[in-house]
Order: sequence, then C-alpha cells, then structure tokens
Amino acid sequence: MPRVFITGLGFVTSIGNDAASVSASLREMRHGFEVYPPFQKPDISCKVIGTIKGFSTDSVDPEDWTFPPGYTIKRETVRSMAPHGLFAHCAFIQAVADARLGEADISNRDTGLFAASGGSPMLTYYHHDRMLKLGPARCSPLGIVASIVGTLNFNLVAAFKIQGASCGFSSACASSAHAIAYAYDEISLGRQKRMFIAGGEDGNRDAILPFAGMRTLSLQSDPALASRPFDVARDGFVGTGGGVVAVLESESEVTRRGANPYCELLGWGQASDGYNVAISHPDGTGSRIAMENALGSSRVSAAEVDYVNAHATSTLIGDVSEARALKSVFGEMGVRPGISSTKALTGHGLSLAGVMEVGFCALMMRGGFTPGSAHITNLDPACEGLNILRSTLNEAPRVVLKNSSGFGGANVALLMRRK
Amino acid sequence: MPDSVQSNPGGNKTLTLATKPFAPDDEAALREALKRCSPSTFEAAVQFRKTGNADHMPAVVIGVIERFVEPDLRAKLKDADDDLRLIEDLGIDSLTMMEIVILVEDVLQLSINNDELRNLRTVGDVKTFIDCKIRGLPLPRPTKFLPIEHIGAVMPVQPPFLFLNEASVSSTGANGKYKITGQEFFLQGHFKDNPVMPASIMLEALGQLAVLFLLEGAPTEPGKAIGANTIFFTGCEGVRAHRMCKPGDILTLSIKPKRMKMPLATFEGAIRVGQEKAVIAEDITLTFAYVESAVAPSAINGTAQPAPEGDNSANPPLRVAINA
Repeated sequence: MPRVFITGLGFVTSIGNDAASVSASLREMRHGFEVYPPFQKPDISCKVIGTIKGFSTDSVDPEDWTFPPGYTIKRETVRSMAPHGLFAHCAFIQAVADARLGEADISNRDTGLFAASGGSPMLTYYHHDRMLKLGPARCSPLGIVASIVGTLNFNLVAAFKIQGASCGFSSACASSAHAIAYAYDEISLGRQKRMFIAGGEDGNRDAILPFAGMRTLSLQSDPALASRPFDVARDGFVGTGGGVVAVLESESEVTRRGANPYCELLGWGQASDGYNVAISHPDGTGSRIAMENALGSSRVSAAEVDYVNAHATSTLIGDVSEARALKSVFGEMGVRPGISSTKALTGHGLSLAGVMEVGFCALMMRGGFTPGSAHITNLDPACEGLNILRSTLNEAPRVVLKNSSGFGGANVALLMRRK
Repeated sequence: MPDSVQSNPGGNKTLTLATKPFAPDDEAALREALKRCSPSTFEAAVQFRKTGNADHMPAVVIGVIERFVEPDLRAKLKDADDDLRLIEDLGIDSLTMMEIVILVEDVLQLSINNDELRNLRTVGDVKTFIDCKIRGLPLPRPTKFLPIEHIGAVMPVQPPFLFLNEASVSSTGANGKYKITGQEFFLQGHFKDNPVMPASIMLEALGQLAVLFLLEGAPTEPGKAIGANTIFFTGCEGVRAHRMCKPGDILTLSIKPKRMKMPLATFEGAIRVGQEKAVIAEDITLTFAYVESAVAPSAINGTAQPAPEGDNSANPPLRVAINA
C-alpha cells in the first residue's frame, strides 16, 4: 500500500493566518479569543469567541468582504462563497505554496479534494428570508451554493479546477477528521496520488450561538478563562471559525517532486458510541475503540505514541468521557503519552477542528515542540493518571494520535509519525 | 442599432408605465441597489424612474452589465458596438446573466422570465430586449441558430452547391461557417494539382448567407413572406480577395443588410479564416419578392415565434445550468 504524507498546510485560524504565526501561538500557548461584539447583549449569556483577524465577512454580500493583502480573488469566484469559503480559499493558496505545487499538480485526474463544513447558517437564513419576503425571482442564483452544507467543496473544486475525487463530509465536529481519513484511504488504495483536505466554519453569530440552546457554550467573559479543557472549572466550549487546508500525497509523488513532508499519516480508525444524539458516552466507549482501531490498522502499539492531541472541547461531559477513553487505551499498557487540547487556544472549530488540529500536530513535528494544554488551574480529578501537559515541551513528538468526535457519537482517531 | 430601437423616432417616447411617484425612499433603495455601478448609471436610473423616458434605459443596462464584468474586461464595454458578445467577449456566464437580470428587474421595475433570456447573446440583443419590454413592443425575433438540416430545408440552393455548414440569423444580420473539405467537385480543376477555393464561389457563399437572412431574419410586412424562389443575384461591388483558401480552412462568413426596399436588398459581406481577412464585398445586391403568407412571416418551417425548445440546440443558450 502506498504510504501517505502531509506535504503542505494553510491556515486561517483564531491564532494566526499563516503557518509561522500559528506555530508561534501554539508554542507560546497564546490564545485567539476576544470579546465578540454581537454577543454583548443582555439576552446572550456567552461573550467570547475565537475571532478571525484581518478578515471582515459580516456582510451577507461577499463583495463587501475584505481580506488581507496578498490574496487576489475574482468577483465571480467570491460571489458563491460563504465566509468560511473565503477563509479556506486563502488557506488553499497557502497550502499550494507550502507544498510547492504547480498548476498542473493541482488540476489533474489524480488529485482530489475532500472538504468539511457546517454550511453557512448566516447565508442560509438571509437567502431563505429573502425568498419568503420577496419571492424566488428576487433571490440570488448563487444563494444555494453559497449556503448549503457542501458549499466548501463546490467552491474550492470549481475555483482550483480540481479534476479528481471530490466530496464533503458531515459528521459535525468529526467531519474534517473523516475527510482526512478517507483522503488517506483514497491515496493508500491507489485511487488518487494527491488529496487536498479543507475544513471551514463561518465562526460567527449564526454559526455559534445556536449551541447556546444546548447550554454547551462557555459563559465566561474573560477571554483567558473561557476555554480550559480538563480544568475542573471548565463550563463549555468557545466557538471559532476559520479555514485550514492540508495536502496529502503518496510516497511516489513525494519522491517524484522532491517534496519535504511534515509527517507521515500512518492510518486511522473510527467507531460510534451508539448512545446519544448529542452527549458522548460517559465511558468514552466509541472514542476508545476508534483509538484502538487506529493503532491496529497502523500497526503501532500504544507504547509508541508520545503525544495525543485531544478532542477535548472544554465541556463538562465530553472532556471526562475522552479522559476515560485515554486511560483505558494507554493506562492498561502502563504508558503515559503527553496530552493536550489546543482548543484551549483556538476554541472549538466544529467541522474545521479535525484538519486544523492535524495541521497543528504537523507544525509541532516540524517545529520541534509539544504544546501544553493551556488555562488549567485545577486539573479535573477525573484526569488523574493522565500526562496532561501544562506547559510546552521543546521537543517534537515522534508518534502523534489525534482524536475527533462529533454529534451522534462519531469518533475518529488519526495516527501520524514524524518524518 | 437594431431596427426596433430606431423605429420609434421622437413622439410617443414618454411611456405610460404604471409607475408610482418616485419617492425619496425609492431613491435610497435605488442608490443601494446600484452602489457598485458608476454614478452615471445611478443618475440614468433615477431619470428613468422619474420620467419613464426609455432614452435613459441603455445607460442603465450597460452600467449594470459593466458592474458584473471583471475589471480587466470593462474596457471592451466602453466603446462596445452592439455585436459585443456577452459570453465570448465579456466572460459573462449564465449565472452572472441571472445576476444582471435580477438587478435590471429591480432597477427598471420589470419582470423578465427565463425563456426570454435564452436568446440574448450580445449587448445589442440586451438593449433591444429591454427597450421592447419598456415600450411594450413585441420582442424582436431572437437570433436563430440553424443547423445544416434546417438550412437545407429552407434554401432554394442545394448540395453540392450549398456552401454553408451552419448559420445564425438575427434581425440585424447573419453569420455562417463553411469548411472546405477538398471533396468539392470544382477543386479537381481549380487548379491543376493545387486545389484553391474560387473567389467566385466564396462570393456565392456570401450570397447564400444573404438569401438565408432574407428567408429567416429579414423584417417583412404582415401577412407576407419573401418567396424562396424569388431571390436572385443582381450585382456586386467592391469585392476584394485577400487570402487563398484551401481544403481544411474553415470560412467564417458574415453579412449585414445595408438597404432593403422591395425588390432589392443590398448587403455588405466578409469572410475570415481564423483572424485573417479572406474576402470583402462592399455591396452584394439581391432581388426578391413577397408571396402571400397565411401564417406569420418566415414561418417556412414553423419557427417564426420565439424559438421552441429544440431550436437552440446547436449552440448553448444563456440558460442557468445548475447541477443540483
């Protein structure tokens, strides 16, 4: 089976809009949270999100949007995008440059694109409301492709003339981990030589506030306290958006192009809780099996793993559930890999989270550090026995496990090894 | 300008549009709708909405089209003639056409249905179309794209002496293509061991396109049609051949009517091969006569009214093609 490598990355995230600044934020454990003006109302009890800096996408008209200098995007390209389409488009341009891909490497039958996003609630609402008020004849012809789930793959595939496999993944907060996982399969089965994986979320009022209905958002107004996975006082997640793109390539392409990979993707596993539509299994059953499957299919023993990038979003139930799963996978082997949740810095990127955090793991492996889990004052006793890193280690992990979990109890685990 | 625009000189230009008085609120909404258009577009729209004077319409329509064209192509629109093509020259796809239509509808307070859009291929088509809508005139006959079967069915000339493979006919002229196959019988002797398309035959091909225009595109009087068997060549002037044309060349032919008054119609014509000029004819004059027609003009095979579904199959029309 062809081996699979990560050869390029692009980031538009709350902690930086390029690999270098994201890497620095991770190493220095610098968060990307701000008090979010649209939430500063008496009837909105959550106050903070992970903001995207340098972009303005508040308008429902993409032609009003602004983005950092250096990107050129035509009107006919931006007109069908959601805000996260713009973020991911910019991340795609970065990833192409990072992997040193030429135009011919992007647009050919051996190169595909998988994407994950939750669609654009802001644009869905806007276009639907317009249709009901003014009638369908006054609706933008591009309202649908800009707003529905799938908007990210539609737009990127068209904009970058992708000719290989393309589709979108929808398993909520496990979506882009699934996208990477199946992209790995696409290459290791010999169907494609190169895959782009894009994750994106608008991360604005309309994308985040509905989670308040579940009482799952942190109500902290202090940006430095709002997201604290594994801390006993955690009170919910902090939402964020952005766009991240990763490039996966087969070993033969890496050799042919003389590419310099970040790391090898060793394999993956998945399992479902079969328990509740929105609450993770208290014992982390699905997450445990997903990790075991990933280790088994990658032929890696738990003892070889030296770092776990946790899914942990800073919710009461979820973090404990994952901690139990980790204990059962690693505790039984008597090993204690370093564990941290980078959501303490970025917030929870929902469909974006998986590929964003795989990208973070790749940056650590190249950058020679392992970030600590920020904002922990009092570790939750339920995490005792786990090696949850409280500060950054100046050493790159060699074998990394990345967990992702989504609604419906979907769990994905991905394994990577430093080059 | 298309005939239908010019055919309404002077009087009766102020229209009886069912417009309500133009309120300050309307002006604000108009300003918002046209915020990405030039100031002159907004001014023209205000004038149109206040007075209903259709003379302001072209400035509004061109201003709206300009707003949707990529900046580097806008120069083309500045000194555009009406033949500028929306898709090929301005890069406007069918979805952008929808955006243009929605904004024009909004600004000029019209409603346009999808079927009417299919035949708008040039800036001139759009202007004529909107003008007819505003003045309440019948819509001009759309550009028709005629495959070889259709051409063969209407033309008095037949193979092996028919030199058109395909053609498009509008109310302002006709375009056609002919590929020199090398199998044409006269090439055996013209010339010995050196097949060259005779200039006289190229002129014949232009004449045939003019015949097709008379049969399929020319405006006629009600109840009358031009008889296919009444059309003959009378003369030509200013004919120059610029380039030898040989087997494998694809001739791109175009003719435009210059004068038309029973029984004479005079055309200018040109043939190109790729971008190269091949033949120019300043005047080609044909005679023709009307015959009584029970049905609508040029209904020789029933395509006089806005074309039915299959009629445009030879060329993709402006149609929203959503892979939903």
